[in-house]
Amino acid sequence: MFNSDLTKHLAELSKIEFTDDELERMTSDMTDIIAIMDKACNFDSAVKPYALDAVDYNDLRSDSHEMSYPTEKIIENAKNVKNNSFVVPKVV
Amino acid sequence: MSLKELRKMLDKKEIGAIELTQHYLDNIDKKDGALNSYITVCHESALNSAKNAQEMIDSNNSDSFTGIPISVKDNICTLGVKTTCASRMLEDFIPPYNATVMEKLNKSGIVMLGKTNMDEFAMGGSSQTSYFGGVKNPYDTSRVTGGSSGGAAASIAADLCAAALGSDTGGSVRQPASFCGVTGLKPTYGAVSRWGLIAFASSLDQIGVLAKSAEDTGFILNGICGYDKNDATSSKNAKGEYLSLIGSDISKLKIGVPKEFFADGLNNEVKSAVLSAVEYYKKLGCEIMDVSLPSLEYAVSAYYLISSAEAASNLSRFDGIKYGFRSGLGEDFNDLIKNSRREGFGGEVKRRIMLGNYALCSGYYDAYYKNATRIRTQIRAEYASIFEKCDVILTPTAPTTAYKIGEQENDPVKMYLADIYTVTVNIAGLPAISTTCGYDKNDMPIGMSLIGRAFDEKTIIAVCDRFEHDFTRKEAEI
Repeated sequence: MFNSDLTKHLAELSKIEFTDDELERMTSDMTDIIAIMDKACNFDSAVKPYALDAVDYNDLRSDSHEMSYPTEKIIENAKNVKNNSFVVPKVV
Repeated sequence: MSLKELRKMLDKKEIGAIELTQHYLDNIDKKDGALNSYITVCHESALNSAKNAQEMIDSNNSDSFTGIPISVKDNICTLGVKTTCASRMLEDFIPPYNATVMEKLNKSGIVMLGKTNMDEFAMGGSSQTSYFGGVKNPYDTSRVTGGSSGGAAASIAADLCAAALGSDTGGSVRQPASFCGVTGLKPTYGAVSRWGLIAFASSLDQIGVLAKSAEDTGFILNGICGYDKNDATSSKNAKGEYLSLIGSDISKLKIGVPKEFFADGLNNEVKSAVLSAVEYYKKLGCEIMDVSLPSLEYAVSAYYLISSAEAASNLSRFDGIKYGFRSGLGEDFNDLIKNSRREGFGGEVKRRIMLGNYALCSGYYDAYYKNATRIRTQIRAEYASIFEKCDVILTPTAPTTAYKIGEQENDPVKMYLADIYTVTVNIAGLPAISTTCGYDKNDMPIGMSLIGRAFDEKTIIAVCDRFEHDFTRKEAEI
């Protein structure tokens, strides 16, 4: 059964902040959505779970050193940078 | 006019690349205010590309796409051109690299007119969840285009480009093609590199083509297919030659019609038009076979569980730090991330991330995610069984035609259920093409889909092309 505690737990896992009103709306939406997803729970458990076929795909390139993009280029889209590094709030 | 004809005209200098590009840019300026199909229009760079293309043509160095003006969905990375995914999160994001498909097309001298609007992060079937406002259907601007490649579909229907690149995770090329009366091709999983396609659900995503005809979609696919060392899931089985069966005798083909796609929930006008298309092929001599995909009833739940689980993982990269929207709220590291995601993502994206984390959560994983992957195995097996008997499968593309804007806005469940006819193709990794097969009482286009064996795009393109030759489309009056 979906409830606001579960929504809060998922919000934490999802790293998304919700206001109380948003949380209430999300709980209601998720209750309706999970009701459809419950269909999957009744499926035959004897069938093997699918995984991408390693023969057809996962053709990995050789593990060799190649030049990547320069740091200056990669951090151009960051909103807060200093000395070629991302600026974040103090963690410890 | 087909892309092949356009190619000939450009090479014979019956039309210039700059003149052609200017024609589409003028059309965009004139019509797109009413449609909102483009997020970014590249006036200057398009004309520069056209100038370079003309130089290639003048020096007899033209390639298949030299001087052909296209639109590109705004989730495909384009070097130096904003790529927003129709999200506030990426409102200012300028990719430092090109997607592989763009590298290939640019080398051939293509002209990119701009980036098209879509559902935010390709999550939706209406193109109304865009941060930049919804897209309107060129056949009736009070109606949706479908989605998520709604901008791409509208840009074709309104003659705002010669061809369009879209992406299809659960029907996002085929369903808007159906709603906007154009042709949409979703290639086999692995046929086209996903490098530079901003990831939604990596095991389902595929770049596709929208155009005025099946032949045009194959023409573009020839240029973008193939193995790419930057995408480990791209395949060496995609070898091109997608137009090789056009004009060949298709009368010996066996076409499967799965009964589950014509059951309750299918609009009567759609059903009638699609069954008329079945009759058309029967009259050509094709053998029509009743087939079955019993697990269709599980498809929507399996699709949403798998795609949302993958989305929850893929979208965890958006933290407000490395790139994308950064909130000014929050004192600590976690608050910065949580507020950036709260303000940067729209409602539908948040629902999918929440659903994905629910499906992957300890205690729910076996019942939801793992079972969804079992359903995937079963659906693939059922398609394989059908393709032992049939060459092509014919279905409706969507249960309805384009509905009124706002009609399903607050009902995510209704939106999800509407994906029932398209999602199995992504689950099974197969190619499929949607084309117009009729119009409803409001003159809105009705789409049918032709599904093929893996890497057999050339058959569905030929079968679709045959129908298009004998079907007269109504132009959108915009």
